[in-house]
Amino acid sequence: MIVEKQNIGSPSRYRIMVVVVMFFVAMMFFQLFKMQILDNENYQVKSDENSVKKITVDPPRGIFFDRNFRVLVSNKPSYTVEVLPSEYKSEQNSILEIALNEEEGYVSSILNEKKEFSKFIPRKIKRDVEFSTVTWIEENKNNLDGIDFRIEYKRDYSFGVYGSHVFGYIKEISPEQLRNESEFYSMGDYAGFSGIEKTYEKNIRGIKGAKFMLVDAKQKTVNRYLQGNNDLEAVKGNDLVLTLDYETQKKAEELFEGKKGSLVAIEPGTGEILALVSSPFYELSNLGGVTTTDNWKKLLSDPDKPLFNRATMSIYPPGSTYKMVAAIAALEEGIITPNFTVKCTGSFFYGDRSFGCDHVHGTTDLVKSIEESCNIYYYKLILKLGLDKWNEYSKKFGFGRKTGYDLGEEIAGILPSASYYDRKLGKGKWTSGLSINLSIGQGEISATPLQLAQYTASLAKDGETVKPHLVKGMIDSKNNNFIPFEFPKSNNGISKKNYDIINEALYKVVEGEGTATHIRIPGIKMAGKTGTAQNPFGKNHAVYIGYAPFENPKIAVAVIVENVGYGGSHAAPVARDIIKTYLRIPDNKIENRIAVAESND
Amino acid sequence: MIKDTVEYKIDDKFDFAIFIPVVVLIISGLVAIYSSTLNHPTASGNFNKQLVWAVFSIAIFFIIYFLPPLIFKVSSIPVYLLSIVLLLAVIFIGSRIYGAKSWITFGPVGFQPSEFAKVGLILFLAYWLTDKKRDINKIKNLAMGFGIGLIPILLIMMQPDMGTALVFAFISLAMIFWAGISLFGLFIVLSPALVIFASLFGTVAHIVALIFILFALILFKRNLFTSATIFVANLASSYFFDFAVSLLQPHQQKRIFAFINPYSDPLGSGYNSLQAKVAIGSGGFLGKGFLEGNQTQLRFIPAQWTDFIFCVIGEEFGFIGSIIVITMFMILFLRMAKLASSAKDGFSSLIVVGILTLFFVHFVINIGMNTGIAPVIGIPLPFLSYGGSSLLVNMVLLGITLNVYKNRVTHT
Repeated sequence: MIVEKQNIGSPSRYRIMVVVVMFFVAMMFFQLFKMQILDNENYQVKSDENSVKKITVDPPRGIFFDRNFRVLVSNKPSYTVEVLPSEYKSEQNSILEIALNEEEGYVSSILNEKKEFSKFIPRKIKRDVEFSTVTWIEENKNNLDGIDFRIEYKRDYSFGVYGSHVFGYIKEISPEQLRNESEFYSMGDYAGFSGIEKTYEKNIRGIKGAKFMLVDAKQKTVNRYLQGNNDLEAVKGNDLVLTLDYETQKKAEELFEGKKGSLVAIEPGTGEILALVSSPFYELSNLGGVTTTDNWKKLLSDPDKPLFNRATMSIYPPGSTYKMVAAIAALEEGIITPNFTVKCTGSFFYGDRSFGCDHVHGTTDLVKSIEESCNIYYYKLILKLGLDKWNEYSKKFGFGRKTGYDLGEEIAGILPSASYYDRKLGKGKWTSGLSINLSIGQGEISATPLQLAQYTASLAKDGETVKPHLVKGMIDSKNNNFIPFEFPKSNNGISKKNYDIINEALYKVVEGEGTATHIRIPGIKMAGKTGTAQNPFGKNHAVYIGYAPFENPKIAVAVIVENVGYGGSHAAPVARDIIKTYLRIPDNKIENRIAVAESND
Repeated sequence: MIKDTVEYKIDDKFDFAIFIPVVVLIISGLVAIYSSTLNHPTASGNFNKQLVWAVFSIAIFFIIYFLPPLIFKVSSIPVYLLSIVLLLAVIFIGSRIYGAKSWITFGPVGFQPSEFAKVGLILFLAYWLTDKKRDINKIKNLAMGFGIGLIPILLIMMQPDMGTALVFAFISLAMIFWAGISLFGLFIVLSPALVIFASLFGTVAHIVALIFILFALILFKRNLFTSATIFVANLASSYFFDFAVSLLQPHQQKRIFAFINPYSDPLGSGYNSLQAKVAIGSGGFLGKGFLEGNQTQLRFIPAQWTDFIFCVIGEEFGFIGSIIVITMFMILFLRMAKLASSAKDGFSSLIVVGILTLFFVHFVINIGMNTGIAPVIGIPLPFLSYGGSSLLVNMVLLGITLNVYKNRVTHT
């Protein structure tokens, strides 16, 4: 290779330099062409993903109306404080706890609970905070990292009825539920956990909306994406029209204040529940909205079990209110006529056992046996009828199985049968003497207040029933159309002639010389039956079933008041007041009668 | 070739083909700085500052342009020595910005000695290479030539500012190349760099590179001792590089590895690179429009107005805008190369090559890292990136370039 002494900038080196320059310029040209023309779409998608944040907008839940479109449960706005873990610094824990009026460790415990989720999802730290907390956050926004608030709806229960067991409560969704229904729910969402809120969750939860926001690299919101043109409006949940009557429900709750027990009122022929109370009840506002572990603990540890729905989950022996089952069965089966009489001497012997009656009724026919509630009549009747027939007719009235009411949470009760005793005591080791107690609704037979109400409605409508339910239908939030819900009808096939006999007796209980004459309402004819459920653990439970008006029944009601004694004295007046309220009869028309019925159930 | 003329035109004394692309680039830079700092909490004043610097720098450019050419030769030794002194000083009294101690501040004014040293290196190396007509192919002279470059390089590495050190290395290399180094000399200089680069991509690439060196040595047919020495030096170079990497700041080490695989650390070192690519790629053909680029306006790229200024152009002005910028640079480079080959003397020619190399290396590395084909080495894009002292020095160097142009022929 020839080397010149001074060879600065030879033409060949100039050419090399030009080639190097052109090489790199061409490389950049192609790289830009590839990125900006060929791969543009991919990058565009990434760019949008980068900077467009989806903020879900929670729809308000559907509200609850009573049967006359009176508001029972509504929504109201509340402020929820949120923390975004990706920006939040744990040094802020103490200042946030002070602002939220919470004890030390509160914030970190909530953040730890949801550790498994992405740190770019905000955590709801506290709901329903004071407005002053919101202003504090707003004022210190620049010094607070990852702390924000949002407006949420919470349930408003301020309309005068508790409805604890009917409406049910809503609660923050659990991580398991979240995984199962991830297509709808996201972390921190509330969902119905009991009552109507749970059963009708899908109808009332609405459709979530979305806002698309432009965010900067720190995820801070800068502006709306495409001026909000791509945003999806949240669709409010459908409102529900309940079967409850506001006035009746409210009255029932007032009447049970301080009492334990349950009341169910049903519109005969439609199955619509007009009032449903399980007492003690509780304030739903203590459970919805704010996380209050204290309230929960109090409710869970209360020996009277306020969370428990006695109307559908508690079973009681129905006492004398069950006598009509044996009576109608014997009539229908032709075992007796209405003229069949029994001489009541106040006691009855079967084998070496004695069964009593509260009075000596003398010669008693069927109507009198119900009107004056004679036990001896039924002891003799059940032995003629037999356990199997009694069981068959009990089933016709819905005992021993669930009513299928719309909220679902109920139990079947106990309806003894031959096979039941075979199982319990062994085949051949029991006698028909066991059925003697059953005939007057004592012993193993037990039913829920809802079953008793349905039985009453069935008697009132000559065997025609509709599955009891609490919701009539919903108002479609898209077009405001009312969509009624359908519930199956049934008829137990017992002849009207025999119903008439039984109903005449029930009429005489109140309007004749029976056990509930003290609850008459002037101008309204009522039918009913008192009962006393024996309670081996304490004072007897008072039971009453009845319906009104007698000619054209509008309301059938079952009342159980625990540990108070006779049904005539303690349950019948409650039923009277409920009927009076539902039929809108003013107070002054009622004679103020004192409970006189004492020991004649 | 440009001829001597008696009645000269302005074109003969002032190369608009160099000056106008630079003005276009400065204006593009200002537009991009405006866009990326608009409403920014701390950088919103940068546009005004840069505007002032641009006006000031253009004024200085004209002063340099009109200086007598002799002054560059005379000042080359003192400027170089002063550079070394300042580079030493910054190690002791410099302020640390972004992890490197490269700034000397006098009250409100700060400047980077490494910027000043660029002028010093180019002038002095050009002077030394042309003085006494040294033969660059003598090992002693080659070593001396590289020594001149190596002193500031080592001092800059101590700051540590690897990007600028790399630029200085390329300047020295290009000037020595222009001075006429032989192919074998060039091979000796470049082969270790090739080996080091290959070693970054794993053992296989490393071995392939070494085999390639071995074959090349056989083809050069030098004596066994020389060849063996060169091969051993190559072997050692990658270990020396590993050692040098271990001296680097952790954030710089991460950047080297993030270049090889940017997705290894998408929210860390690879973040800037990914976001820059998304910004440019999403710009499309026409761009998203001035102030409409979401990557830029939503600040997905930190301190975008400095090293990632090209993303703003790419995102908001698209392929068209990017190509205009690239084309302006291309015209500048080709025009300067032409000037270098037609300069009056070796000294002027080497100065232009040094300056050209400086601009070019910055251009390639900066656009390369913006488009994801080079690692994120934090060096600015000449004339566009925000930074007063950088712009000033670039305009001083451009002033020298056009001074060379003006004086390439003797006007009567």
